[in-house]
Amino acid sequence: MEAGASYQRFPKVKVRELKDDYLKFELRDTDASVANALRRVMIAEVPTIAIDLVEIEVNSSVLNDEFIAHRLGLIPLTSERAMSMRFSRDCDACDGDGQCEFCSVEFHLRAKCMTDQTLDVTSKDLISSDHTVVPVDFSDALGGDDSSEQKGITIVKLRRGQELRLRAIARKGIGKDHAKWSPAATVTFMYEPEIHINEDLMETLSLEQRQSWVESSPTKVFEMDPNTEQVVVIDPEAYTYDDEVIKKAEAMGKPGLVEIYAKEDSFIFTVESTGAIKSSQLVVNAIEVLKQKLDAVRLSEDTVEADDQFGELGAHMRGG
Amino acid sequence: MGATKKADAADYEALRELFRHHVESFDHLVDRGLETMLDKIKPVQIFDPFSNKTLKIWFAKPEVYQPQKEGNSKMSRDALLPHECRQAKISYSGKFIVHLYFQYDNGVAVLEKFNFGHLPIMLKSKLCHLNGADPQKLVSWKEESSEMGGYFILNGLERVVRLLILPKRNYPMSMLRNSFRDRREGYTDKAVVIRCVREDQSSVTVKLYYLQNGSARLGFWIQGREYLLPVGVVLKALIDTNDHEIYASLTCCYSEKYGRGKGVVGTQLLSERAKIILDELRDLSLFTQRQCLQHIGEHFQPVMDGLENESYTSVANAVLQDYFFVHLNNNYDKFNLLIFMVQKLFSLIDQTSIPDNPDSLQNQEVLLPGHLITIYLKDKLEDWLQKAKKLLQDELKNKGENFDFSSLAHVKKVMDKNPGRQIGSAIENMLKTGRLVTQSGLDLQQRAGYTVQAERLNFLRFLSHFRAVHRGASFAGLRTTSVRKLLPESWGFLCPVHTPDGEPCGLLNHMTSTCRITSFFDSKGKFRDFVKIRTSILNVLIGIGMTPSLPKIVQAGPPDVLSVLLDGRVVGSIPSAEVEKAISYLRRLKLSTTSGIPDDLEVGYVPLSFGGAYPGLYLFTNPSRFVRPVRNISAPEHGSQNIELIGPFEQVFMEIRCPDGGDGGRTNEFPATHEEIHPTGMLSVVANLTPWSDHNQSPRNMYQCQMAKQTMAFSSQAIHFRADQKLYHLQTPQTPIVRTGAYTKYCIDEYPTGTNAIVAVLAYSGYDMEDAMILNKSSVERGMFHGQIYQTETVDLSEQSSKSDREQRMFRRSNTDKSVRPWIDSDGLPYVGQMIHPNEPYCSVYNEVTNTTKNHLRKGSESVIVDYVAVDGKSKKILQKANIRFRHPRNPVIGDKFSSRHGQKGVCSQLWPDVDMPFSGITGMRPDLIINPHAFPSRMTIAMLLESIAAKVGSLDGEFVDATPFASSTTKTNGEEKSESELLVDQIGTRLRKKGFNYHGVEVLYSGVYGTELTCEIFIGPVYYQRLRHMVSDKFQVRSTGTVDQVTRQPIKGRKRGGGIRFGEMERDSMVAHGAAYLLHDRLHTCSDYHIADVCSLCGSILTTEFVQPQRRPGREIGGLPPIRAPKKVTCHSCQTSRGMETVAMPYVFRYLAAELAGMNIKMTLHLSNGAGA
Repeated sequence: MEAGASYQRFPKVKVRELKDDYLKFELRDTDASVANALRRVMIAEVPTIAIDLVEIEVNSSVLNDEFIAHRLGLIPLTSERAMSMRFSRDCDACDGDGQCEFCSVEFHLRAKCMTDQTLDVTSKDLISSDHTVVPVDFSDALGGDDSSEQKGITIVKLRRGQELRLRAIARKGIGKDHAKWSPAATVTFMYEPEIHINEDLMETLSLEQRQSWVESSPTKVFEMDPNTEQVVVIDPEAYTYDDEVIKKAEAMGKPGLVEIYAKEDSFIFTVESTGAIKSSQLVVNAIEVLKQKLDAVRLSEDTVEADDQFGELGAHMRGG
Repeated sequence: MGATKKADAADYEALRELFRHHVESFDHLVDRGLETMLDKIKPVQIFDPFSNKTLKIWFAKPEVYQPQKEGNSKMSRDALLPHECRQAKISYSGKFIVHLYFQYDNGVAVLEKFNFGHLPIMLKSKLCHLNGADPQKLVSWKEESSEMGGYFILNGLERVVRLLILPKRNYPMSMLRNSFRDRREGYTDKAVVIRCVREDQSSVTVKLYYLQNGSARLGFWIQGREYLLPVGVVLKALIDTNDHEIYASLTCCYSEKYGRGKGVVGTQLLSERAKIILDELRDLSLFTQRQCLQHIGEHFQPVMDGLENESYTSVANAVLQDYFFVHLNNNYDKFNLLIFMVQKLFSLIDQTSIPDNPDSLQNQEVLLPGHLITIYLKDKLEDWLQKAKKLLQDELKNKGENFDFSSLAHVKKVMDKNPGRQIGSAIENMLKTGRLVTQSGLDLQQRAGYTVQAERLNFLRFLSHFRAVHRGASFAGLRTTSVRKLLPESWGFLCPVHTPDGEPCGLLNHMTSTCRITSFFDSKGKFRDFVKIRTSILNVLIGIGMTPSLPKIVQAGPPDVLSVLLDGRVVGSIPSAEVEKAISYLRRLKLSTTSGIPDDLEVGYVPLSFGGAYPGLYLFTNPSRFVRPVRNISAPEHGSQNIELIGPFEQVFMEIRCPDGGDGGRTNEFPATHEEIHPTGMLSVVANLTPWSDHNQSPRNMYQCQMAKQTMAFSSQAIHFRADQKLYHLQTPQTPIVRTGAYTKYCIDEYPTGTNAIVAVLAYSGYDMEDAMILNKSSVERGMFHGQIYQTETVDLSEQSSKSDREQRMFRRSNTDKSVRPWIDSDGLPYVGQMIHPNEPYCSVYNEVTNTTKNHLRKGSESVIVDYVAVDGKSKKILQKANIRFRHPRNPVIGDKFSSRHGQKGVCSQLWPDVDMPFSGITGMRPDLIINPHAFPSRMTIAMLLESIAAKVGSLDGEFVDATPFASSTTKTNGEEKSESELLVDQIGTRLRKKGFNYHGVEVLYSGVYGTELTCEIFIGPVYYQRLRHMVSDKFQVRSTGTVDQVTRQPIKGRKRGGGIRFGEMERDSMVAHGAAYLLHDRLHTCSDYHIADVCSLCGSILTTEFVQPQRRPGREIGGLPPIRAPKKVTCHSCQTSRGMETVAMPYVFRYLAAELAGMNIKMTLHLSNGAGA
């Protein structure tokens, strides 16, 4: 109750680079558990929409039904709506069969090859019942309009006379259930490194020694200033914690030439989206999901069960 | 377009080479082999005492047709294609017709056609429809685009003839064998053995035994019995000669001046022995050739069929011609060879030469499919002809004059009682079962195991069937391991790596990728004229200083001159000083295309030595020898003109160096004359696919060869047109980033076998202990290692029904029973794409007679999907046969087996979510697979580590990495030393560093669960992983209750029947040791055959009890309630009372034991007590 030492911190986010499917940002003033929670939620718990049920009418292609269904499932669909959609299992509008507008989107695919040329059936051939949920279009993202028609993701190739006709239901889901619902291609973070060069020791090195020390790092972290012949840190974040420079310094007989620490409370995040959600939205959604999860804990604040369930933690959360 | 087409065809050339020996041997069979064979079958003569006519019958021209459909209309016959046979489960065979000549006395020979049924046709042989078809055409015929043939289709199954090791033909081999002693009294364990092969590939083995008294006996087999003759008798019978000539010939290889110097084979004992041989003749009072022939003829007349009325001399000549040195036609040649063999035998006795090793590849050749069929067919046709003769003779005897012998039609009618069709089906049965049904044994060591099914589990397994060479079934049971040994003689011909471990280890070998088998066809596909070849070789030999052997001219022996044997014929002798020069000249002629000397001539020069192998110059031109290419560096170089084919016999005495530029420790006395083309030539195709196998501990490479063949891979491109019992299929295969030269050479990309998985080597969560591995669940969900099993059920209605009710059953759905509608269509067959759960119907059969419909139900515990239903839509008859192919989904689950290409197999123990996997801070990469670091130190599979970092570089650079083993042991052709001193690791490491990665391939990973850095750097990179076919879904076995055995009432065994796993003695022991008495009681009694028995305590019997059904008392029933069950009353039959009845719990088998004992008149009594001691 009384104002003991407060451990509450106020994490800061600073966006460095932002593209539709790529985001790099700093997360400061928090610890690894929060950073990792954010990463885990982005990969596995931010909901998206993906094809979950396929009814195949005709399939005379070379691939079997499950294979096609599996491929359809993996096609990223634009999922801005996903946060507001219902999980089919929680949907009241339909009795759990998950085929109502609140929890599902219907797709149709009809393709038949009539020519001697092989027909590529792609994600573009999927016809959605909802214009907000469509297969992700990569054509402009790739920037190159050089190939006049970007074709989308190939589902199957058809030879003359082969046909594919199906109906597919896309539903909301999370990556924890199946990887197809994961909105993130990659989410990773690294600790921000803090690099101190011992200038005095550096002075004792000859020019060649400095050069070879600089080159011992596989990534470009250090550089020799051509004018001053001083070793300077040009990109600390390129450091991969590979200890190569430290080992090199030891091998040169100069231990302590450089000291590198990982800052325990700042992280550099890299987020790549599959295209289902914009990368910026992905982070926002992730925080939202994380908050909802915590809410679930807080909701049971004043119940007795909370005490049973969480014990000390429950009391603590009630401010004890 | 045309250019690409041509390129495709060329691509498969290397692959075709691997199957060539099978196809070529069959091609020879249909081209010439049958004709030659029929020529060699002796005519039969039937004499009719009534009309005083003699009928002579003999075989003439054979005709084999391409496989055709048995159409209704005889006018147009459609071609029967292999894929139709596979699907319809019939045999791919062509009509086989032979013309027979009939000749009365010396009249005009009449040609008559006889139908001998159908002869199975090898795929891609000259009679196969696929012969010469290009990939496009093959695909349009629903075959693999790389179809290589070499096998037969019998009842829809693909079967290959196993290559079998045979003793080298026409080479006299000296042997020590204890069994020779048991022949008869006085025999020693020493003999010289020669396997003589006729032009039609049938063979006769002749043995020359040494007797303790210094003489020799000649043994040869006639109709399954060995006959022994004194060697002197045969020598004298062969040619008109005298004792002195024989003596001189036998002793010519001894000369006093040499003593026991180098290359001396004769000793002075030789003359003693020659005298003994001649004395034996005198003792038998055989002095002239005529007397000897008489002697032989007299003894052999009973066993020679058809020569009953001939003179002894002609019988003897027939014996000598048909059973003695059958590869030679001339008696002088036979005489010379026999002299040579006697000399070799005596040299063995005097220990001036060592015995030849029959287990060494040097003295071996191989049995080819075409040759096997030829000799088996010959045996069958001979039998047929003899039987026909017997039928005709019986007819003459029984009917006498009523039988019109001079009418050919009548003769044919009698002969038809012995249907020729059986011949075709005999061949088919032989190929189907691999069993030879023959009286004579065909001079082969085994009766069964000649064919195996060519499984298409994956392409490597399929291919290995054609490259496998088996030592022979008789050796499998042998307790000695000497036959299994890897001998240096097999270098370059048999792969030292690719042999299974366990039971067939060392007996089932695989040919190296460069190894070939010589055939009747030359490299341009032209038929070889061996007579011409031999004459041109002879001419060359005479040109370079050989003295031709003429009858009765006595030659000196080693060390002066060396005997020259050409295909088992002593053609002359050559001065030993000249021989080296002569050989290099011969070898140069081998290289030239215009010399008339075949490129695969084996120049086996056994040099003079101090008691080594028996010296001589042995030349072989015959087919079915092993050969392999090496570079002849002594010959002047004309581009690629210096590639010479060498055989295992000559290789032993050749100087072949490794192409690493070194001398291999050779001294100047023996400079290298030849050079290996590439060190990988010593490995089989499968072993060649292991990347950097030279960096692995050798047993690991052997394990990989085994596992590559068990991999669930992309088995077939024509999977939709096949009806295999079981077919494994990997859904998402990849091409390996790190690959060897062989991978591209043999187009393995057509049938990829695995996936490039990102493998992290770390101990994470403990679920990767003891070769377990953790798979990334999300990777699996994205399709990694997905696969399925295709299983075909063939429902053949005509098969099950007897002939009477044929066509009375058909596929049809019941009109009344609507419950099957969800699964079965109106045609009685299932819907394609339909999921079928266990015990649900998959097809309906309607029986017109009984007017009932029977549903076939799915067995097993797995749900399957109907993949395909194939029926014969062209036939107008009612549908009788349907192939229903099911698909079992087989996506990875815990318990499935995976392996890298380095003998590192493991079982999936967890499917771990993506987020829990460790991740790289820089790239965000999560591994697909985690293995434990303990997998490496003791196994030393360094190549797997190399593969990991090399694949990392490869994927960063976007190019494939060449991982051909022994790459550092070859000098570049242009001579530049590409800084070879640099280690492979260093090359890769430097490239990795350039891409900003750690030199050693390790990366800093963060725990996926906590987000903290893992305390050490983790070795991570892509490794090509194979999914093995052993999957839990096919193997798991659980049971709580279920079927029990009828007799013992114990749970049954067997997974298929829902049985349990035996809780055996050792399991019991461990329970006892733990003192877990209750558990033990539960397992062995309660869960097994728990039984409550009634025991009569008066007489102690458990068998005499019987139930007495109490009288039902009427009127006691109360309306609405079930009748009161009267208590069962048990009485003892022998005591006639129920007084002493007690119930005792016991195992049911105990009761069974009592009953069994009673059956043996032993009474068993129980004494019951309440446990307080009795």
